[in-house]
Amino acid sequence: MLPLSLLRTAQNHPMLVELKNGETYNGHLVSCDNWMNINLREVICTSRDGDKFWRMPECYIRGSTIKYLRIPDEVIDMVKEEVMQKSRGRGEMKGGRGGPGQRGRGGARGAFGGGRGGRQGPLGRGGGLGGGAGRPNKPKKL
Amino acid sequence: MSASSNQAQGGDQKEKKRKESILDLSKYLEKNIRVKFAGGRECAGTLKGYDPLLNLVLDNTTEYLRDPDDPYKLMEDTRMLGLVVCRGTTVVLICPVDGMESIANPFVAQDG
Amino acid sequence: MASGLESYVNHTVSIITADGRNFIGTLKGFDQTINLILEESHERVYSTTTGVEQVVLGLHIIRGDNVAVVGEMDEDIDSQLNLANIRAEPLTTIAH
Repeated sequence: MLPLSLLRTAQNHPMLVELKNGETYNGHLVSCDNWMNINLREVICTSRDGDKFWRMPECYIRGSTIKYLRIPDEVIDMVKEEVMQKSRGRGEMKGGRGGPGQRGRGGARGAFGGGRGGRQGPLGRGGGLGGGAGRPNKPKKL
Repeated sequence: MSASSNQAQGGDQKEKKRKESILDLSKYLEKNIRVKFAGGRECAGTLKGYDPLLNLVLDNTTEYLRDPDDPYKLMEDTRMLGLVVCRGTTVVLICPVDGMESIANPFVAQDG
Repeated sequence: MASGLESYVNHTVSIITADGRNFIGTLKGFDQTINLILEESHERVYSTTTGVEQVVLGLHIIRGDNVAVVGEMDEDIDSQLNLANIRAEPLTTIAH
């Protein structure tokens, strides 16, 4: 599975992004591209030391500045679904590798669009984030 | 080709769509945006122009100054830069100033 | 693919990142820039004063720029470790 396929599948899901400068951004992924550039909405930015916080309605982050992304556990299962459906549809047209350009079918998406919840690990490192223990990665609307 | 002319051609370019930037800067034109740069500088200004490489023209720009000992720690001080061109390759983050606010730790409350 | 990571897929791996952190998880995928997918991952935080702290993290994409070392874990040996007794200096970040 390709990391960028997983990231594309994670669109509309909450996530935590840590940048190389140490800042973290909690928000919902709106869109991403092949360079890992991302748009987030309803974002909470945490300073490197975990002592300052900002709310922003949306932001654009250059992919090359990302250190890592934390994604809800269940998203990885949706990628499998997407890949299987894609390969089935494509088999007749042409063999070989396809670009990662096409998005999944609407149907698969809808089927998974609903309820999340259950286990959500803490996002972010302990220090400065109130320990982070048990904190859901979905930023509460403030 | 500018981002805006690309859009104007619209529907017949479905295949090209994924080449298009996921960031539509036209919505920020004449609006105040906050920009963070590689290395830690930050500024805010009115977006007057841009190109697909994320080079920006900002007017009435304010730079947020940083702790001399820690290039990632912002201080209260600012300085006026006026009209500037920002080099796209160093732009790390863009967000609208409108709606951006400093808040108390939003995560502690949820821990309980 | 030449990177040789293919043989680690679906195995437990230990990642050391450029900022000196240690992530452990199941490698679910990678690409040509060594972006990695780690599932059921946790971070081990080393300290000279207390035992190794494990922080559960879950599903992760680690950007290739930030990856210094990818190693396959020997789960038998790892399960015999008593992390609470291990004291170690934390790694520092890579100097670029």
